Amino acid sequence: MKKLIQAVILILVFYLILKVGIPALGSFLHHGTWPVVPTALMRIYMFFVVAGVLLYLTFNEESAKELGKPIKEIYGSPEKGGLRMIVIAIIALFGGYVTYQNVKPSFEAPIELRSIHPAPPSSVEMWGKTYNLMTLTNPFRADKANYEKNAKEGGIVFFKNCFYCHGDKLDGKGHYYSGVSPLPANFVDVGTIAQLQESFLFWRIGTGGPGLPKEGAPWRSAMPIWQHFLSEEEIWKVILFLYDYTGHSPRTF
Amino acid sequence: MGKKGFKLILGVLFTVIFIYSSVVFAEQGDKDNGKKIYEKKCWWCHGEKGEGNGPAAEFLNPPPRDFTLGVYKYKSSPPGQVARDEDIFRIISDGMPGTMLGTAMPAWKDVLSEKDRWDLVAYVKSMTDLFQTEKASGEISLGSAVSSSEESINKGKEAFKKAKCFECHGENGKGDAIKKLKDDWGFRVWPRNLTKPWTFRAGSEPKDIFTRVSVGIPGTPMPAFADPKSETKLTDEERWHVVNYVKSIADDTKKLKEGEIVVKAKYVEGNLSEDVHAPEWNNAPPTAYQLVPQIIAKERFFKPTIDGVTVRALFNDKEIAFLLEWDDRTKSVPGDADAEKLSEGEVFEDAIAIQLPTSIPEAMQKPYFGHGDKEMGVNQWYWSSGSTSGAQTVKVIDSTGLGSGKARDTAKTDVKGKGEYKAGVWRVILKRSLTTANAKDELQFEAGKFIPIGVASWDGSNGEKGSKHTMTTWYWVLLEPKAGSKVYTYPAAAIIVLVVGQLWFARGMRKEYEK
Ligand code: HEC
Ligand code: HEC
Ligand code: HEC
Repeated sequence: MKKLIQAVILILVFYLILKVGIPALGSFLHHGTWPVVPTALMRIYMFFVVAGVLLYLTFNEESAKELGKPIKEIYGSPEKGGLRMIVIAIIALFGGYVTYQNVKPSFEAPIELRSIHPAPPSSVEMWGKTYNLMTLTNPFRADKANYEKNAKEGGIVFFKNCFYCHGDKLDGKGHYYSGVSPLPANFVDVGTIAQLQESFLFWRIGTGGPGLPKEGAPWRSAMPIWQHFLSEEEIWKVILFLYDYTGHSPRTF
Repeated sequence: MGKKGFKLILGVLFTVIFIYSSVVFAEQGDKDNGKKIYEKKCWWCHGEKGEGNGPAAEFLNPPPRDFTLGVYKYKSSPPGQVARDEDIFRIISDGMPGTMLGTAMPAWKDVLSEKDRWDLVAYVKSMTDLFQTEKASGEISLGSAVSSSEESINKGKEAFKKAKCFECHGENGKGDAIKKLKDDWGFRVWPRNLTKPWTFRAGSEPKDIFTRVSVGIPGTPMPAFADPKSETKLTDEERWHVVNYVKSIADDTKKLKEGEIVVKAKYVEGNLSEDVHAPEWNNAPPTAYQLVPQIIAKERFFKPTIDGVTVRALFNDKEIAFLLEWDDRTKSVPGDADAEKLSEGEVFEDAIAIQLPTSIPEAMQKPYFGHGDKEMGVNQWYWSSGSTSGAQTVKVIDSTGLGSGKARDTAKTDVKGKGEYKAGVWRVILKRSLTTANAKDELQFEAGKFIPIGVASWDGSNGEKGSKHTMTTWYWVLLEPKAGSKVYTYPAAAIIVLVVGQLWFARGMRKEYEK
C-alpha cells in the first residue's frame, strides 16, 4: 500500500508544480502575470511524469510486486467486493470525464513556441555594407574618455525610438507593450542582453523581427528594422546605453 | 517586565520610528539626492530643467508634465490650492494606470526606495517657486460616501445632466465631445472615455473618482465641482451619486482580458443579418484587442486616439460575418463642417480593416503581420466611412509585403460591409461567403481550425490615413466546430470499456488470489 500511495503523492506533487508552481514562479519574476502551462504541453509533461514515477517505483521485481499488491487486493480479494465496485466506478467515470475534456470543442489558442535567441548568421548586410558578426565589436566600448557622453547619446536614441515598447524602465513594459505578441524583450532581466554579445544585439537591432531565422518566428515579432531609421553609430550607442542603464555587462566570449 | 511587554514596547517603538521616518522624508526630502535620480531616470521625458521637453516628449500624448509651473493634475487638496506632497508621491510611486492609450508615466515603486521617491518629490517641487509661498491645507472632505444603488445611480445621472458633464464627456460618457478642448499648455486634450474606467489616470476606485470630480484636473478643462464659486457646483452627496453613475456605465466588453485572444465565431441557423443591432450578436462572445499605433515601418505615427476594438463573429452554412465595435470620439466625414471643427487638421474617412492569411497555415509559419510577405500573402477587408459626397465603401486588398497591396476588382470579391456611428461608437459588419471560387489566393474558412486574424483602424479626425493607423499583431479566429454527437458517445464508450475491462481484470485477479 505504501508504494502505491507514494506513487500517487509523487504524481500529485509534480502536477501541482506544473499547475501552480510554474505560474507562481513566473508571477514572481514578472509581476502581474500568471503564465499557465498550456494544456497540450501539460499533457505531454504529465505523460512523462507518470511514466517516470512508475519506472522509478518498479525498478526491481520486489518493488514492482509491492506496488502491485494493493491493486491485486482490491480487484481480487473476496472480502473487498464493495470497495471493488466503488473503485471500478470511479475509474470508469474519470475516464469518461477525461474523454469528454478531450472531445469537447476547445477555444484555447494554439501554443506557438519560438526560439528567443536563435543562432545569429556569421555575417550580415546592412546599409549596403557587410559586417562579420564573429569579429564585430562596439567601437564606443574602447573610447573610455567619452563613455558618459556616448551612453547618454544612446539614451536619447532609446527614448526617441525604443521606450514605448521596451519600457521607460527598460523592463519590456512600455505603454504599447501589451499590444504586441511576442512581448518586447525585458533588458533588466538576466535572460536577455546579459547573456548576449554586443554583435548579436547589433544584428537584432539592425534587422529587427523580419531579420530572424524561421525558428525565431520572424512573421510575428513587432521589433522594427532599425537600419531603416538609425545609423550604425546610433545603434552602437544605444547598445552602450542598454548595458549602462541596466548595469549588465555584455558577453565577450 | 515580562517577555510579552518587551515585545509590545519594541513593536510600538518600531511603528513610531517608521511613521516618524516617513514624516521626515516627506517633510524634508533630500533634493540633492532627488536630483541625482532625476538625472538618471526622469529627464528623458520631463526634460533637463523639468520643462516637460525631454527627448521622449514629442512621442507622448499627453506630454510629460512641465514641473516649472508647479501645476499638478492629479491632486486631492481643495480647489484652488497647490498639490499635496502625498499627491506627487503617489503618482511617482504608482505611475498612471491605464497604459492603454495613455500616459507613459510608469510606476517607480518597484525600482526606487520610499526615501528616493520622497527625495524626488522634494526635487520636482524645487523646480518652481510656488511651493515656497503656498501649501495645501490638507485633503478635501469626502463627506459621507453613498453606496451604489439603483436610486443613487439615477440621481447621479440627473446630476451628470445638471452639471453638464455630457458637454465634454458625451451623452453616454464616451468622451465624444462637441467642442475642441485644449489644456493650459496649449495641447489638445480629450475628455476621458468614462465607460473605460481602467484608463482613468488617477485610479477608478469610488474615492478616486470622487476626488477628481470634486477638485477637477488643474491645467485642463475638467472643472472642480466642489468649487463654491462654480456655477455647476455639486453637493457632496450629488458628487457621490455621480461617482456611482460613472461606475455603472463601465463597458467591460471593451476591456482586455488576459489570455483571451481568440474570436469565437458562433454558428447560427438561417440568414446572417446585416444589422449591427440584430439580437443574434448578443450570443456572439466579444473579444477585445488592444490597438497600438503603427510604430514599426515608415511613416510611423505616435499619437493615436483609438485604443482598442472588440470583435464578434457569427457564421452559417454559407457565410461568415464579423462585427467590429470601437469607441471613437469623432465621426470623421470629409466635407462636413462639424467634423472639421473637431479635427486635428484635414478630415479623412474613419476606417477599419481585418487581415487574414490567403490560406489557413498548416504549420507554425504565418505571413508577416505587417501586410504579409513573399512566401505567404494576406487578404485585407477594408471598410471606410464615406464622405459628404460619397457612400461607405468596402475593398479587398491583396498584399505580399509592405507597399505591395493591390485593391481587387470589386467584381472579384463578395465581401460586404456596413457601418453605423452612434454616440461615440462605431459598429461595422464585414461579411463574406465561407468559401470562394478563388481558393488560390483567398482564405477559405473552415470550422474547427485556428485562423490568424489582425485588425487595423483609422481615425480620420486624427490625421490617420495610409500607414498612419492603429493595429494589432496576429490573433486568432475560430469557427466553433459543430460539437456533434461525439461529445456524448465518446465519453459513454470510454466508461463502458473501462467498466468491462476492469471487471474482466478483476476476474483474473480473483483467480490468482484464490491460488
Ligand atoms: C514596436 C515595438 C518595438 C520597438 C519600438 C522596439 N522593439 Fe526591440 N523588440 C520588440 C519585440 C516585440 C521584441 C521581442 C521579439 C524579438 O526578439 O524580435 C524585441 C526584441 C529586441 C531585442 C532582442 C533581445 C533579445 O533578448 O534577443 C533587442 C536587442 C531590441 N529589441 C532592441 C531594441 C532597440 C535598441 C530599440 C530602439 C532602437 C527597439 N528594440 C525598439 C519590440 C520593439
Ligand atoms: C517615459 C516618460 C516618463 C518618464 C521616464 C517619467 N515620466 Fe513622469 N510623466 C510622464 C508623463 C507622460 C506624464 C503626464 C501624464 C498625464 O498628463 O496624464 C508624467 C507626469 C508626472 C507627474 C505629474 C503628476 C500630476 O499629478 O500632474 C510627476 C510628479 C512625475 N511625472 C514625476 C516623474 C518622476 C519623478 C520621474 C522619474 C523617477 C518620472 N516622472 C519619469 C512621463 C514620464
Ligand atoms: C469642460 C469640460 C469637462 C466637463 C464639464 C467635465 N469634464 Fe471630466 N474631464 C474633462 C477632461 C478634458 C478630462 C481629461 C483631462 C486630461 O486627460 O488631462 C476629464 C477627465 C475626467 C475623469 C478622469 C479622471 C482620471 O483620473 O483620469 C473623470 C472621472 C471625469 N472627467 C468625470 C467628470 C464628471 C463626472 C463630470 C461632471 C460632473 C465631468 N467630468 C465634467 C473635461 C470635462
